[in-house]
Amino acid sequence: MHTDPNTFDALMARLADGDRAVFSSVFEHLRGPIHRFCVSLLKHEADAADATQEAMQKILLRASDYDKTRPAMPWAMAIAAWECRTLSRKRVRRREAEETDCERGGEHPEEEFVRRSLTAAAVATLGELSDADRETLLATFWDEASLVSGVTLRKRRQRALARLRKTFRRLYGLD
Amino acid sequence: MDSTDLSRLQRRVRWAYELGRLRLALLGIAPLLVIVVVATRVTNRPTSTFWFGIATIVVGAGMLWYGRQPQKAVLPGISAGLVPLVLALCANHLHACGADSCSSHCVPACTLGGVVAGLAVAGVGYQRRAGIWFCLSASLLALLTGAMGCTCIDYLGVMGLGIGFAVGVVPVLLRRVFGGRSP
Repeated sequence: MHTDPNTFDALMARLADGDRAVFSSVFEHLRGPIHRFCVSLLKHEADAADATQEAMQKILLRASDYDKTRPAMPWAMAIAAWECRTLSRKRVRRREAEETDCERGGEHPEEEFVRRSLTAAAVATLGELSDADRETLLATFWDEASLVSGVTLRKRRQRALARLRKTFRRLYGLD
Repeated sequence: MDSTDLSRLQRRVRWAYELGRLRLALLGIAPLLVIVVVATRVTNRPTSTFWFGIATIVVGAGMLWYGRQPQKAVLPGISAGLVPLVLALCANHLHACGADSCSSHCVPACTLGGVVAGLAVAGVGYQRRAGIWFCLSASLLALLTGAMGCTCIDYLGVMGLGIGFAVGVVPVLLRRVFGGRSP
């Protein structure tokens, strides 16, 4: 939307005077330019949308303070720039806090990598086993009811686990 | 952003705008609180003064929040109303005592103050070529402000203020109507 500065100044002056009839026009005149400005500052569409909403609220909250002798759009842009800066700082602070939490109590990226590698190795070892052994171990893992029970099941499980260990040792050289 | 989000944002922004106006209105009317407190302490009938003061604050804040003509009428209205208020508060402490009894100067002071306030409001309205809403709003505030001090002798002072105000306003209104100057 093209913004004619004179028209927008006049609309803002009327809104500052309490003329609510021009509210929608001011809103429409402001939204596009403010959003584009926030996108250009933040380089991130979602952040820019958030900043636009905050900036629009702040601008209209202070609409009654608007000095009619000054151009309205730079005044509004200054408020939007401040909001973008605030949002940007908040995001940086949150990211830093998340990293600190991760180091303190959460899973460290290195631990996460080891866990993923072990899971991949276990899945690969299971793939080397026969279908019967694999079904037995998976049923044990998921605690599913089996067709056989009692001593037969226990014997099958022992044999499947022994073969799993042997295969794991063969593939990776450790228990 | 779809139309639902857009209308939601517009509602939020509108709410923010109204809150901003209310904040400014409350800030703008705050000095009147000092006048109400002083008037309540000085007057002989603090309860009536207090309630007229509350009414003045509420009406004044409402006008400042609303904006446009009523907003512009707040300062001239209160300023004009200060004349009968001060005169009445001073008159409350003066008595003319004869052989049998004492009489208060409250009613004449309120009537005189009303005339001055009426002339002031009408004069400002005439000078600014203001509309009817300016004149009505300024008159209401001037009367309420003056009434804080004119609650003497069973509201006779308030009646005097009203009559005096009408006397002050009418000549200027007549001049405006017959002088051919439109608002």
